[in-house]
Amino acid sequence: MITAIRNYLVFLLRCIRIAFVGDWRYYAWMGLLTVFCMLGLNAYAKQLANGLVVTGMSDQVSWGVYIANFTFLVGVAAAAVMMVIPVYIYDNEELHDLVIFGELLAVAAIIMCLSFVTVDLGRPDRFWHLIPGIGQLNFPSSMLSWDVIVLNGYLLLNVHICGYLLYSRYHHRKPARWFYIPFVFIAIFWAISIHTVTAFLYVGLGGRPFWNSAIIGPRFLASAFTAGPALIILALQVIRRVTNYHISDKALLTLRSIVQVSMIINVFLLVCEIFTEFYAGGLHVVSSKYLYLGFHGYHALVPWIWTAITFNLTAMVLLVLPVSRSLRWLNLTCALCITGIWIEKGMGLVIPGFIPTPLGEMAEYSPSLNETLVCFGIWAFGLMCYTVFLRMAVPILQGNISKSNEGEFLQGSPRHEVTLPQ
Amino acid sequence: MKPPTKTSVILLVLMGVFLALAAGFSLNLWGRPASRPDIPLVDPAFISTDTVRTSYAELAAQKGDLSDFDCYGCHEKGKPPILRFDANQNLIIPKEHSDIVMKHGSHNRNNLCFNCHNETNLEVLQTRDGRELKFSESTQLCGSCHGPTYRDWGAGAHGRTSGYWNRDMGEITRKDCVSCHNPHSPKFPGRKPAPPPHPLRPLDKPKLEAKE
Amino acid sequence: MSQEPSDKRNIPALDADGLSRRSFLRTSAVFTTGLAAIAAGLAPLRNLKDFTSMEQFVQKYYKELTPEDMEKVLKRIENEVEQQYGIRPHVRDLKPMNGVEFVYCLNLTRCIGCRKCVHACVAENNQSRNPEIQYIRVLQMTNGSFDMEKAVHDYDPAEVPQKGHFYMPVQCQQCHNPPCVKVCPVHATWQETDGITVIDYDWCIGCRYCEAACPYWARRFNFTKPAIPKDRLNPNMAYLGNRPRKQGVMEKCHFCIQRTRAGRYPACVEVCPAGTRKFGNILDPNSEVSYILKNKRVFIQLKEELGTSPRFFYYFDV
Repeated sequence: MITAIRNYLVFLLRCIRIAFVGDWRYYAWMGLLTVFCMLGLNAYAKQLANGLVVTGMSDQVSWGVYIANFTFLVGVAAAAVMMVIPVYIYDNEELHDLVIFGELLAVAAIIMCLSFVTVDLGRPDRFWHLIPGIGQLNFPSSMLSWDVIVLNGYLLLNVHICGYLLYSRYHHRKPARWFYIPFVFIAIFWAISIHTVTAFLYVGLGGRPFWNSAIIGPRFLASAFTAGPALIILALQVIRRVTNYHISDKALLTLRSIVQVSMIINVFLLVCEIFTEFYAGGLHVVSSKYLYLGFHGYHALVPWIWTAITFNLTAMVLLVLPVSRSLRWLNLTCALCITGIWIEKGMGLVIPGFIPTPLGEMAEYSPSLNETLVCFGIWAFGLMCYTVFLRMAVPILQGNISKSNEGEFLQGSPRHEVTLPQ
Repeated sequence: MKPPTKTSVILLVLMGVFLALAAGFSLNLWGRPASRPDIPLVDPAFISTDTVRTSYAELAAQKGDLSDFDCYGCHEKGKPPILRFDANQNLIIPKEHSDIVMKHGSHNRNNLCFNCHNETNLEVLQTRDGRELKFSESTQLCGSCHGPTYRDWGAGAHGRTSGYWNRDMGEITRKDCVSCHNPHSPKFPGRKPAPPPHPLRPLDKPKLEAKE
Repeated sequence: MSQEPSDKRNIPALDADGLSRRSFLRTSAVFTTGLAAIAAGLAPLRNLKDFTSMEQFVQKYYKELTPEDMEKVLKRIENEVEQQYGIRPHVRDLKPMNGVEFVYCLNLTRCIGCRKCVHACVAENNQSRNPEIQYIRVLQMTNGSFDMEKAVHDYDPAEVPQKGHFYMPVQCQQCHNPPCVKVCPVHATWQETDGITVIDYDWCIGCRYCEAACPYWARRFNFTKPAIPKDRLNPNMAYLGNRPRKQGVMEKCHFCIQRTRAGRYPACVEVCPAGTRKFGNILDPNSEVSYILKNKRVFIQLKEELGTSPRFFYYFDV
């Protein structure tokens, strides 16, 4: 027992240590992220001291970029499971190890989600009110209570799966199937649920006709499974570049086909939404009018949404054409997907729900400098987490950090911790 | 001495940036909460529960000045006042009562003093069916024509109710008609509303379309 | 699948002793400046005055407080208010009365749009003056339409009422089926037996989900520390009612709980110069609200199609 704990602690120590070691590009990247984290921390300190008045939110538009980013990132986290399905259900060996990279992205994304929700709270010191048993979690009535449970559960699931697989690899042990396969399948369903629950946060509000529509749930999933794998495609190429971990193009192209199908579905659902809103018309489509066409002279979101639609349509066309099989075009397409969906799901969903208010008042919203810095800070923190996770995972998967060279590490002459490309 | 590696350069730059940030944070160079414009406190008249008029009964209860109701201070007893009309059958208000504007109903329908006042006894009011009422009972006079409103008033649905909704715990206060309505021109005059709401952030109204 | 390490390069930081000492100095220098930047970055937290006290942080949920706990809590609140405003208030925890269900009736034939109700409410309920929080919003509607898109909120003519318009004040409708209660993740808002939907200001986490859920835009959030002028503080307070709120929590109309549970009319009813507002116990057949709902031919609820079933009825004089 003691040996087991000691082994695990040594493993953790090595993981932590390797996070501080790298070449000049690693330090530059982490340094840049640290700077943004600091800016974000300072901005959040100002928000704690002065209240949410330092953001651009008001009683009329009471949710802003924090919740917009949260919504987008829950989708990214859910999409990590999109890699799990081909591997475990369709037995795609190519993607096997890459599942870990996807799940680590999910962990980083969930950390970002939880951070975004925390900075949005007016009284974060009262977070303990949310803990079931100690506080008063309003389960099952409140969708936010469901979100608290499923997000934290998803975090634990993925941390367990990745942690167990990596630790087994460290020990050169084949991982016991019963200890992770069931969790993998649970994670598949759980991933769908985290995003459906987040969608239901909006759908369940009868007083906001822009959100109270059945199509939001499916749209969330379709856009998540577009943006998530797109992000993973880009992340895998970065891993390929900065380490010499071998990732085949076939893996990237498998992910491309997921993005392709999901984007087509996403665009189809957009068409469904626009037809439903505008064909019959009526009083309840004011928010859609505001978003797509402008309303009564208010049109701040119109250029944004049309940019997003252009990006998404272009990406869809590129994905369908064989030209996106070439990596340069694929990367451009992924960038278009991610940006388009971030706009459409973030600002294009959260903000128009508040404009006009239920009493018909028009009040626009734009994030303040402070709010933007906090967002950058959290994104930087998330990217930092993911970088650190990868910095730990890649050497373990390559065998450079393993039980066999633990002795060298403990004696203080670890020369083979890292392999770098020339 | 080895030349500085790229890593050293990066770390040195990073140190510089950290120091600059520390300075920026300490001097609070950016992200200051925008100052909000002063919002003047509302005029206390807008939160006053006083009615615009005081009825005879209230004046009497407060032992106020009832000289306005002392008709025979000027008029002669036994001599009913004569009403004068102009060419268009409009009532001419005598200059002694110039503060009265007769606008009780439309089409000059009710612009006749003795519809309500008793010409033989100016100190009482009269209904159309011949009842005599004291000034303090003017509500019944109003009710003799305005039946539905009088019925609602009796139930508490017309006119303000104040005090205690729970009759077991305290008194409910009702106002007479003339505490709010001028009997000679009962329609509420327009008044300046209290200031509109001040939003947290300026709601930039576009100039393209102005709402009414 | 393990990868064969194809290229090994020693990281300078882990090289022979000489370099490792230099790298240690270099790294610790960076760390120190980094920590200095973080410390400076957290400097604004110095201004975090009276954000929370230890007592308030560990305070239990309202429904779990024993009478002794509640005594201590009320005392704490009285002390805090006295410290901040120099006036010792009287804070009570009023319970709902038996056999009482409150209903509000508003006569749209009579409202003249003077907004006195808005300000009487502000004065009675210790709402922040800057930033301005007002529970009641009066809409200037156009004759012939109930479309709130055409409503004007910031009307300020020389005289009200204006021809061709009618005025509709909106505040919390104290719904039978309140969406805000459904969505609150921590049960900070709930409906009491007398029909009032209340908020425990010491339990609310400020997520603003209820504000998003309310179809009547009735809930307000304290985006910063509320500012109440000392000479306008109303010292007659209730725990679930008009005691001063803090930064970061929600608030809304609570039917002047400190008055109504003591048997009195809310401030908006007391001040209305046109007698537009009616309030009372619907379970009492002799109340004016019972009379109105029995006898008036036309009365409606706002946004009835949403199923919220408000306790607020707008009626017309017939």
